[in-house]
Amino acid sequence: MSHSLDAYLILSGLLFSIGVFGFLARRNAIAMLMSIELMLNAVNLAAIAFGAFTPSLQTHAALIVLLVMAVAAAEATVGLAIVIAIYRNRRTPLVDEYASMRD
Amino acid sequence: MTPLPVLADLQLPPNIPIIGWAWDDLLFLILAGVMLGCALFVVLGRNIVRSGIAMMGCFAALAGIYVLAGAVIVAASEVLVYIGAISVLILFAIMLTQTKSGPTELVFHRQAWAGALAAIGFGLLLIVSVMNTQWPLAGSVRLVASTSAIAMLLFQDSLYIFALQVVAVLLTAAVIGGVFLAKREVSTDPGEPEMATLDRLRAPVEATTADQPA
Amino acid sequence: MNLTTNELLVTLLLVLPLAGFGVSALIGRRLYTRAWIVEVPVLIVTWLIAMYLVYQTLFLGTFGDGGLHFTLGTWIPAGAFHVDFNFAVDNLTAVLLIVVTTIGMLVHVYSIGYMAHEPGRWRFFAYLNFFMFSMLLLVLADNFVLLFAAWELVGLSSYLLIGFWYNRRSAALAAKKAFLVNRVGDFGFALGIAAVWTTVGTFNFTTTTAGPGVFQLLPQALQTGAIQPWQMTGIALLLFCGAVGKSAQFPLHVWLPDAMEGPTPVSALIHAATMVNAGVYFIARANPIFSQAPQAMVFVAAIGIFTAILAASIAFTQRDIKRVLAYSTLSQLGYMFAGLGVGAYAAAIFHLMTHGFFKGLLFLGSGSVIHSVHDEQDMNKMGALWRKIPITHWTMLIGSIALAGIPPLAGFFSKDEILGGAFKNGFLVVWAIGVVVAVMTGFYMFRLMGKTFYGESHVDPEVEPKIHESPWTMTLPLILLAIPAALLGIALGWPPDSGQIHQWLEPIFAGATQTLGITESQFNFAGIDGTLIIIGAAAAALGVVFGIWFFGLFGMREKRSQVERLTNALRPLYRASVAKWWFDDLNDLIFVRFGGFVARALWWFDVRVVDGTVNGIGALTQDTGRGIRQIQTGRVQNYALGIAAGLLLIAVTYIFVVR
Repeated sequence: MSHSLDAYLILSGLLFSIGVFGFLARRNAIAMLMSIELMLNAVNLAAIAFGAFTPSLQTHAALIVLLVMAVAAAEATVGLAIVIAIYRNRRTPLVDEYASMRD
Repeated sequence: MTPLPVLADLQLPPNIPIIGWAWDDLLFLILAGVMLGCALFVVLGRNIVRSGIAMMGCFAALAGIYVLAGAVIVAASEVLVYIGAISVLILFAIMLTQTKSGPTELVFHRQAWAGALAAIGFGLLLIVSVMNTQWPLAGSVRLVASTSAIAMLLFQDSLYIFALQVVAVLLTAAVIGGVFLAKREVSTDPGEPEMATLDRLRAPVEATTADQPA
Repeated sequence: MNLTTNELLVTLLLVLPLAGFGVSALIGRRLYTRAWIVEVPVLIVTWLIAMYLVYQTLFLGTFGDGGLHFTLGTWIPAGAFHVDFNFAVDNLTAVLLIVVTTIGMLVHVYSIGYMAHEPGRWRFFAYLNFFMFSMLLLVLADNFVLLFAAWELVGLSSYLLIGFWYNRRSAALAAKKAFLVNRVGDFGFALGIAAVWTTVGTFNFTTTTAGPGVFQLLPQALQTGAIQPWQMTGIALLLFCGAVGKSAQFPLHVWLPDAMEGPTPVSALIHAATMVNAGVYFIARANPIFSQAPQAMVFVAAIGIFTAILAASIAFTQRDIKRVLAYSTLSQLGYMFAGLGVGAYAAAIFHLMTHGFFKGLLFLGSGSVIHSVHDEQDMNKMGALWRKIPITHWTMLIGSIALAGIPPLAGFFSKDEILGGAFKNGFLVVWAIGVVVAVMTGFYMFRLMGKTFYGESHVDPEVEPKIHESPWTMTLPLILLAIPAALLGIALGWPPDSGQIHQWLEPIFAGATQTLGITESQFNFAGIDGTLIIIGAAAAALGVVFGIWFFGLFGMREKRSQVERLTNALRPLYRASVAKWWFDDLNDLIFVRFGGFVARALWWFDVRVVDGTVNGIGALTQDTGRGIRQIQTGRVQNYALGIAAGLLLIAVTYIFVVR
């Protein structure tokens, strides 16, 4: 199993869908951000999997994944900063309450 | 893979005795199970701090899978970056945004069922697509990526140099932006309550009222 | 544009009254009592110009048999639909001009006195001038479209003048009724004009530089077989519809009696002397068309004589002096149409002329009577006035005798020629009814005279001491009209069938007479002609004698008891007459009630179905919008769900449908 590309890809898909569920279902903004991190990691896994089984792509995959991790870190930073800023205003981390875009 | 000195002369059978699987497969299954389990705990857990910890566990298992796939440097950076930095950051943010009603509030929206359906749909879509696709270029041997090759690629290929610079700028911007967003401004007027810079740019809103729930 | 003097004069004839109207409309209000200072001189000048033109046409024969035709300019240059401002003055026009301008001028002078106490008199004079302009345009027009425009303008002027006292509800309703009933006739008229155009492609009456006119082309088309006889009859009947409406023949007669709501000069001018003659004039002018459609002519005669006897029967029982005269007008118009229908065109026009004068006289005289008894119009409240208002009385007596048809006054000549024509052309029924109507005419006219002037006074005791003769501005026109009422018959109509008027009108009607195969035999007193004359005169005298016997003369009193006995004996007829033979009620039932019902049903349909659909679409849009707006919750997680669902949908569609 660990020698088949399909297994890794299926694993990546499962992780991604868990992340999707978490993003759509959780009320806490930070939980949503955690779900985003899960999704990013699933993508990374898929990239590494392709790299592991295709000789020409190996180094490329690793490199891409490193860059993605850097970007993910930056994005998590900014996202959390925003959540904290909103928290200061609304006193709640729940996205339900952030509905002033409605009208 | 260098075995531990203690177990240096442990003679492992080539396959698992009764079931007949390879050891790699077993390891893969264990790591996958841990990872998925922790991921589920992250999204389903009531206590958000525990969700954060579970996420760390998920990343750890993921690092193990990276090692199994031969990308050692990636595994290392996964541990360093994700577990060491991002997870800690998230835990800090959780601490800073805790409310009194934390344990008693609802975890999920009303739309969670629809979300579940969407997630399941995505999963099925991906899995079915993967299983029905031939990967002509894929061999069946896991290869190990050497660090020097990666380094060579990074600095030789003009594309990745550019990407490197861009990411550097991005990180700088993210740092500055994060600091700016989260900063508390100390006002010169002694009577005025402390507000974050961003808040001061907006029209004053009552700090203790939240939007009416729709 | 180069105009000869005569053409310029004709143009002036039209421009002057219109200018008078315009000036008065602008500054009339400031003129107060002197409001007439613009109009009356305009009319006098118009009359002078018209008399000059009449002199040229009829006496000098300057324009020949065809008359003066000229074009003032192009009106509608729309390719095949080409209409110019064509005007014509021929002998028929000249005769009409005499009537229209003379009576118009006298009515204007009369109005100075009659409207002396009226605050809105500037409006009155302005409308009068406008009416004169419209009427002159009608008489001078030489193509169908111009005629129709003038037709409508005359109807408009009539509406304005009948409803002059617009504060009075009855006046406003009467004006509306006049206009609407006219409109019904005009609808047929317009269809007729359209039929003419589609058949021959031109609107001009006679030959112009653009080609032959309708009156040449239509008979030609019939003879060459290009159109069928039924088409000709149809066109004639449609055109006749307009005349029925304008000249108040059955069944569109209901507006004329109500039109008495207007001031008396209006009644005299419009409803006795000029406007209602427009229909007669038009049929006479269109004689080339009508003479080719014998069935239409029979119809015209039938309608005419039926109206005559219908109106005369209603005149028996009316109490309002003006109503009696109105029904009398209807009756005499019926005579004229009967004359046109039997082929006695010249006789009908002659009667038009004489009737204009003596009916105008009678109306103006009744106005004088009403003025003197301080606006009382009910004859039962008059009586014994003949000593108190002598001028009015004597002139009205002359008018009544003339109307009744007693020789040698004017009415006798014209009426007798019509009856003679009817008999000689084979319309015996028309002749017989005509004789009966002559009897009735004498009777009701002397009923009017008896009740108004003779016997005892039933005047309101308060008013009685104040009865006085009218001012000279009112009595002078009466005297001036009495002269032609008395003498015009002899002057123009003797010898019968070949008098002056016949010589004048012969070129106009020569073609029609030929077509109809009427031979003009020399007048022979000893033969049939004499018998007819004697019968006609005797009928008229009989009616007069009856009238005098019942209702008194000079000092002789009304025989009340006899009148009552007669009324009781003929009770059903009496009731029918008083109720105007229930025609107004019939119209009310059909058009007002039933029509109102239909209109309300359609209104319901419009509001519920049509508006409902439109509003429903609006409501549907709004509700849909409101429903769709629910998507915009403002919450990011809902939007994220939307993105996820959409992405899933696209992917699935791509995989399963595209691949």
